[in-house]
Amino acid sequence: MNMIVPLSELRPGESGVVINFQGGPNFRSKLYPMGLAPGVIIRVLDRFQFGPVIIEAGGTRLAVGKNMADKILVRKL
Amino acid sequence: MAMKVVALAGNPNVGKTTIFNALTGMKQHVGNWPGVTVEKKEGVFEYNGERFLVVDLPGTYSLTAHSIDELVARNFLLNGNPDVVVNVVDATSILRNLYLTLEIFEMGLKNVVIALNKIDLAEKKGIKIDAKKMSKVLGVPVVPLDAKDGIGMKDLKDVIVAVAHGEVEETPIIPTYEPAVEREIEHISKCLEGTKLVSKYPVRWLALKLLQRDEEVMKLVERHLGQEGLDRVMTHINEVEERYGKAMDLVIAGQKYEFIDGLTHEFMSYGRAGGEPFTDQLDRLLVHPVYGFIVMAIVFYFVFKFIFVFGLPIQNWLAEAFTDFGNWLAPHIANEALRGLLVDGIIGGVGMVLSFFPLVFLLFLALSFLEDLGYMARIAVLMEGILRKFGLPGKAVIPLILGLGCNVPAVMATRTIEDEKDRLVTMFVNPFVPCSARLSVISFLAGLFFPKESALVAASIYALAFTVAILSAWLVSHFVKGESGLFVIELPEYLVPSGKALLLHSWERSKEFVRKAGTVILVGALLIWYLSNYPVPIGTGGSYAEKLGHLFGPYMGLMGLDWKAAVSLLFGIIAKENVISTYGVLYGTAAAIRSAMTPLQAYVLMAVTTLYIPCIATIGAIRAESNWKWAALATAYMITVASIVGILIWHVGLLLGWGA
Ligand SMILES: Nc1nc2c(ncn2[C@@H]2O[C@H](COP(=O)(O)OP(=O)(O)O)[C@@H](O)[C@H]2O)c(=O)[nH]1
Ligand SMILES: [Mg+2]
Repeated sequence: MNMIVPLSELRPGESGVVINFQGGPNFRSKLYPMGLAPGVIIRVLDRFQFGPVIIEAGGTRLAVGKNMADKILVRKL
Repeated sequence: MAMKVVALAGNPNVGKTTIFNALTGMKQHVGNWPGVTVEKKEGVFEYNGERFLVVDLPGTYSLTAHSIDELVARNFLLNGNPDVVVNVVDATSILRNLYLTLEIFEMGLKNVVIALNKIDLAEKKGIKIDAKKMSKVLGVPVVPLDAKDGIGMKDLKDVIVAVAHGEVEETPIIPTYEPAVEREIEHISKCLEGTKLVSKYPVRWLALKLLQRDEEVMKLVERHLGQEGLDRVMTHINEVEERYGKAMDLVIAGQKYEFIDGLTHEFMSYGRAGGEPFTDQLDRLLVHPVYGFIVMAIVFYFVFKFIFVFGLPIQNWLAEAFTDFGNWLAPHIANEALRGLLVDGIIGGVGMVLSFFPLVFLLFLALSFLEDLGYMARIAVLMEGILRKFGLPGKAVIPLILGLGCNVPAVMATRTIEDEKDRLVTMFVNPFVPCSARLSVISFLAGLFFPKESALVAASIYALAFTVAILSAWLVSHFVKGESGLFVIELPEYLVPSGKALLLHSWERSKEFVRKAGTVILVGALLIWYLSNYPVPIGTGGSYAEKLGHLFGPYMGLMGLDWKAAVSLLFGIIAKENVISTYGVLYGTAAAIRSAMTPLQAYVLMAVTTLYIPCIATIGAIRAESNWKWAALATAYMITVASIVGILIWHVGLLLGWGA
């Protein structure tokens, strides 16, 4: 049930809680201020084959590159 | 008494510029922050006879030191001693916006005003915010605003002035972290005690930044405590993290949002959920991997139609007006040298360039429209997948499109790309994008030599330039070191742009173009006039310009061009508009240019002018954003590519029998 998966594996309509990042401090500190931090609930709005994942986080809409979405770990809700 | 300073800080796209315009009206000045190429906007507003200086800081999501924008904003807040800091907060995304607000509070500022903007949109979304309560919870004044419609601006001014005069007692709320973090904050604070640093910066802020491994603060500490002192602190942090099993920055960021969440419950509530937001519905179409591109192609088609259909007739009319004026003036000037200088040098050269103002203005209008509409970000999303294949980030599309206006701001816009490698590659290929100055050359020659299919011919030059740019990016990205591919961008709500803001913005940008035309180009045109009239007038073979041209003539011959092209291209280095103004001076009339070249030669000239070198200002911008080596490399690369393309077009054209 409480599976931890990369953000890129969530399908449109699915939600998750951000748990951790597979990236260095620079990578992480770029995401925090945009609303992606541990404990934050995100919802996937749209996802494209090779392109970015479009999510909603903290009341804003973000497009996250595929490479980045692979490194953001979330717990599926 | 010195003017009190009001700084505007906030996330990108929250309405800072709208508020800035509403505060200052037309009394504004655009310049640069000292030493860097970040745009600095300053303006003045008056209140009961007192004048206040307003500074629009770059829009940032946080105050780390990862981009120049963030560093500029942060240094101004820390060291610029603003009397009032107006933190603009977007009411439709409070959670994310308050992250920056808390960072500002943690800096120890006690003169903050929160401009709670876009309340009209928040209301529509069913978000209810009690501004009074919010003010009480945060400990600073909160002013609800709908800046687009000027609602609440009077209140904002009142509060700004009250804070500036020290009439408001502020108690900004500072987040408390879990005991383990607080313990470390305390420990590090003790290590820093007694140093000069603590008298300059709030010690809690320093400690927090060290825990988050902020490179600028680490440098500061090293300067004051020495390498050893810094090492001691950092080793300690490493140990703590090891024991704790988690990076401190992760804990701090998570708890900050938790804290924000708790705060917002006290003053904010979500009403009816409503259906799927309009923006999401639209995005289904606009960032769709198939429909999205179709829409984008249509959008660009209309942008070009818009510019050419409206711009070209006005341009022609202006160009004729300048020629007529010159012809009218000529007989009135007795002194031959002065007549030449005025009619040929000044009116002939600058007049031609000035006539392109309408084109430039319409172009900027279209670009600003797409930007304010929120569509630019969608283009970035659409393009990320494709551009990445050629070594460019999706965000490169913004500089690539801005380059259509002018490569100088476009090169500067590459700074929104965080990754160094991405930035360098984007910057390198940007000058290939035909700027409005080259549009003037392209449209002039296309109109003159291909009157029936001028739009098609112009479009083919644009296609050529973009192809060269993209292929070059692919090539260059293989030679630049570094990782890339970190893409995250906000997709703002679609908004109908305010016409007034669009006009103001485009007007400012177009003025920039004319300012350039007025100074650099005037010098260029006068230099050409001098070189082509001294020591003897052109046509005798003895002018300086001809001598210079003949030096490059044989090389130009390889692509079917002559020494006059060499002279024009040489002056085009100062600014691309000069290519046409030089032709104007060398030939006298458009008709003379028309009869001196075949359409194929004109086409080669268009291609070469588009590709051959960045103008001086663009070279300067590349240098400013990277280094001389990179600027020199980009320049040498362009000359090479333009030569190859020019020679190819000429010889293929001859083979196909298009020579006549
Ligand atoms: N509905 C609404 N739109 C606004 C308001 N303030 C700004 N905008 C729009 O928000 C967009 C971004 O504004 P801008 O001032 O350029 O933001 P900046 O990036 O922070 O300088 C523009 O399309 C504005 O017209 C507001 O109070 N209400
Ligand atoms: Mg702005």
